[in-house]
Amino acid sequence: MVPSQQLDSCGPYRVLVVEDELFVRMDIAATLRHAGFQVIEAACADAALEFIESGEPIDLVFTDIQTPGILDGLALAERVRAKYPLMPVFICSGNSELEGAASQWGKFVPKPYEPTGIVRLITSSMR
Amino acid sequence: MEPATILVVERDILVRQPLTQYLRDCGYRVLEAVNAAEARGVVSTGRESIDIVLMDVKGAPSEGGFALASWLRSNHPAIKVLLGGTIAKVLQLAGDLCNDGPEGGLDYRLVLDHIRRLLAGRSRRSPDRRFD
Repeated sequence: MVPSQQLDSCGPYRVLVVEDELFVRMDIAATLRHAGFQVIEAACADAALEFIESGEPIDLVFTDIQTPGILDGLALAERVRAKYPLMPVFICSGNSELEGAASQWGKFVPKPYEPTGIVRLITSSMR
Repeated sequence: MEPATILVVERDILVRQPLTQYLRDCGYRVLEAVNAAEARGVVSTGRESIDIVLMDVKGAPSEGGFALASWLRSNHPAIKVLLGGTIAKVLQLAGDLCNDGPEGGLDYRLVLDHIRRLLAGRSRRSPDRRFD
C-alpha cells in the first residue's frame, strides 16, 4: 500500500482506470482507492478521452488495450501522450505481442495482473 | 459499523465521476456501473453487499432505469432503489443520502454546478446529451 505521505500534498493522485471488464475494473479501482488514490473509472477509451477533454485533472492513466467503442487503449494512450507528454501511462493486455506497440506510448503491463502489484508499479512511477 | 454501500448506475462519466466522488466524500462505499447489465452483474453475483442503488432514469440506457429498478425490487427487495428523473433530481437524492451519511453535510448543489459546467463544456465541443 502507498503511505499517505507519498501522495501529492495538493491532494490524492487521480488515476484514470480504463477497463471494460466490470470485476477487473472494480478490483483495481478498489485496491487503488484503498492505497489512497482517487480513481476515475471508465468502461471504454471513448469515455476516458471525454473525461480528459473535459479538463478535469488526472495524474496517470491505466488502460486496457482492448476496449469497446471507437478508440482502443493504444489510441487513447497516443492522445494522452500528445496532450500530456509527461503523464505516466500504463497499458495492459493479455496479448504479449502488443507490448511493442504499447511501449511507444507508455509502460506495458501484462495481464493478468495483481492489483497490489499495480499499486507498487504506480507508486514507483510517482517517485 | 461499516458505511453503507451505494451502487451508482450512470452511463455518463462526466456525471458519474463527480457524483460518486461526492458520495465517497460523504463517507459511503461506492461502486460504479455504467449500464444496467453491469448493475445486474454486480448485484447478481452477490460478491458485493449492496444497500442502495442510485440511478438516473436515463442513466442505464440499455434497458432503462425503470426496468432495472423493477428487476431490483422483484429480485432483491432488501436493496433500496433511488431513481431520479433528471440529473438534478439524482444529485438531490445524493444530497439526502449525504446528510444521513458518516461525513454528512456536504452541499450537493456544488457538485451539481460542477456537473453542469462539465456538460456545458461538452455541449460546446460535441452536443450529444442535453442537461435536464
